[in-house]
Amino acid sequence: MIRSQAIKLCAKMTGINPIISANGFISRDLFTELDKPTNFYMIGSMGLASSIGLGIALKNPRKKIFVFDGDGNILMNMGSLATIGALRPRNLIHIVFDNHSHESTGGQPTISNNIKLEKIAKSVNYKVFHVHTKNEIENIFKKVKSVYGPIMIIIKIKKSKNTSKRVGIDSLEIKSRFMNSIN
Amino acid sequence: MFDYFLKRNIHNFVGVPDSTLKFFIDQGLQKKKIIITTREEEAIGLATGFALSNSYSLIFMQNAGFANSLSSITSLLQLYRIPMILLIGWRGYLKTDAPEHLTIGKIQPSLLKTLEIESKILTKQNWKKNSDWAIKNLQKNQISALIIRREFDD
Repeated sequence: MIRSQAIKLCAKMTGINPIISANGFISRDLFTELDKPTNFYMIGSMGLASSIGLGIALKNPRKKIFVFDGDGNILMNMGSLATIGALRPRNLIHIVFDNHSHESTGGQPTISNNIKLEKIAKSVNYKVFHVHTKNEIENIFKKVKSVYGPIMIIIKIKKSKNTSKRVGIDSLEIKSRFMNSIN
Repeated sequence: MFDYFLKRNIHNFVGVPDSTLKFFIDQGLQKKKIIITTREEEAIGLATGFALSNSYSLIFMQNAGFANSLSSITSLLQLYRIPMILLIGWRGYLKTDAPEHLTIGKIQPSLLKTLEIESKILTKQNWKKNSDWAIKNLQKNQISALIIRREFDD
């Protein structure tokens, strides 16, 4: 699967649960494929989607909170994994779209292919799942409904040449409709 | 001072410690109200999640950590107008401070100004008044910086 296909499918599977999406093409694809008021598009501040998701998860324990992250974003804020692991939000599901590259800036390589993200996440108290196909993605979303988090789902995706359009609503509207949807 | 904020609807105290702010942080730790993050920008991200859930935060940090957080201030807090109080220890305020604090201590006031962050220095006399000012700014979705000068050498 390529990035936009995986994001579209995951966005569908999350239903009305909040999504915090990382900057760059991840937010852009999410906006293009399935815009919802419950999507918080973090269009700047690379690395912080998981931290924002943690804050929302801690304050909304009855909701499942999804973070749509990338390998470049995770590598930029690995400390966040440790903080999430220490605070153990049961309702946080951290999805990592891993293509071993900074696709939003032209496809330069990240180092995610040279490390074992799964082992890092497990050692800081995540439950980790690896999925590749459409079927596996659909099944894992059903499965994690009854698993206590923090959960990480690593989705290996293929690099593509597809670029994406900017998120078409402004930051204050992203915020206000998101807040209205969760509070 | 910690209790003063806690009683005024600030529920979250997140950041990275500074010896300048030791007493404040220790009061919060005793009440189990402190979250210590790995970096300051992470604290800002976490507190943004709290703010989106209608819960206000104070972020504590050294001015070195303030320098670490610039991108999260401009492209998260200011971009989305996320209300927050930044409590910053002014290292390098004294010219006799440790060498690693001197440059950031010198540029700190102009850095705040360049970022268009309104700030006030807290003293024994004015801290209640200036804390009230920062708390009031939260209602306007504004960031405020409260500065505590490091007036000792170690």
